[in-house]
Amino acid sequence: MTHDDDFADLDRMLAALPLEEPPAGLRARILTSTVYRPAPAMKPWELWAIGTLVALTVWLLWLVASAPNAGANFVDLVGRVVEDGGLTSMTTMLWLAVGMSAAWWISQLSFPTTRRVRSR
Amino acid sequence: MPAALAVDPPVAAPVVDDQALIAAVLAGRSEAFEEIVTRYQRAVYNLAVRTLRDSIEAQDATQEAFFKAYRALHTFRPGAKFSTWIFTICYRLCCDKLSKRKRLSGDELPDRADPSAGPELLAERNDEALRLRAAIDALPEKYRAVVTLYHLQGKQYEEIATVLNLPLGTVKTHLFRAKEQLRKALSQ
Repeated sequence: MTHDDDFADLDRMLAALPLEEPPAGLRARILTSTVYRPAPAMKPWELWAIGTLVALTVWLLWLVASAPNAGANFVDLVGRVVEDGGLTSMTTMLWLAVGMSAAWWISQLSFPTTRRVRSR
Repeated sequence: MPAALAVDPPVAAPVVDDQALIAAVLAGRSEAFEEIVTRYQRAVYNLAVRTLRDSIEAQDATQEAFFKAYRALHTFRPGAKFSTWIFTICYRLCCDKLSKRKRLSGDELPDRADPSAGPELLAERNDEALRLRAAIDALPEKYRAVVTLYHLQGKQYEEIATVLNLPLGTVKTHLFRAKEQLRKALSQ
């Protein structure tokens, strides 16, 4: 007599034991988390790239900020840029103002659309 | 007992085999995964609910198992049995949940029977299926898992050993002892 014979009745009971029905919403839950899961806004490599760039920027900023006399050096640098760029000269400021206002006015102009654009 | 108890009625005579469905999902037709869910959700849920003895946690484990399987489908070895793979994922998740539960409350010691489903309770349950389920629930965790998989997969001892990550001999021993305990519990 084998072990299987010993447990013939139990095996029969196990074979006849119906599986429990899963709750009604389970299938929908599974599908929502798999097949119908919304696509992520960014791909993993994009997230990695952005993360790396942010980390590098923070590291560079920290490097600059932690240098000796960082504040004084920064003020000095800004002063030199302003001076070398001629931003203290009245003439330069005037030309800059003219250029900026012209750019603004041009951006406000509307041009009639061409036939080629309309046909698209 | 049949060699492999049907996991779900469609499994017995599938129109498209699991390998073809998996290939379809991997080819971008993700809706083929719906058929895989239809075939296996019941069996996976039953494995989880028998292992965890908690319907809410079992639902979470089932959902998580399918989610993990879906994400790792490209790693599925062609020629392997999908049922064994998904059962393995689910069983590991259940073990994690049991470990967490044990850490939090000291509940579910592996070799201890559940005192809530003792002979008194079993005696009150006349229905054979209910009594058998209660007796399975009263088994220690390691025996319960073997019996549940034996119920789900039939006499495929190698598959059971793979899911539980146990040697074949241990599976047979556990199953023998589990059956002994079940018979004893049912005869009371």
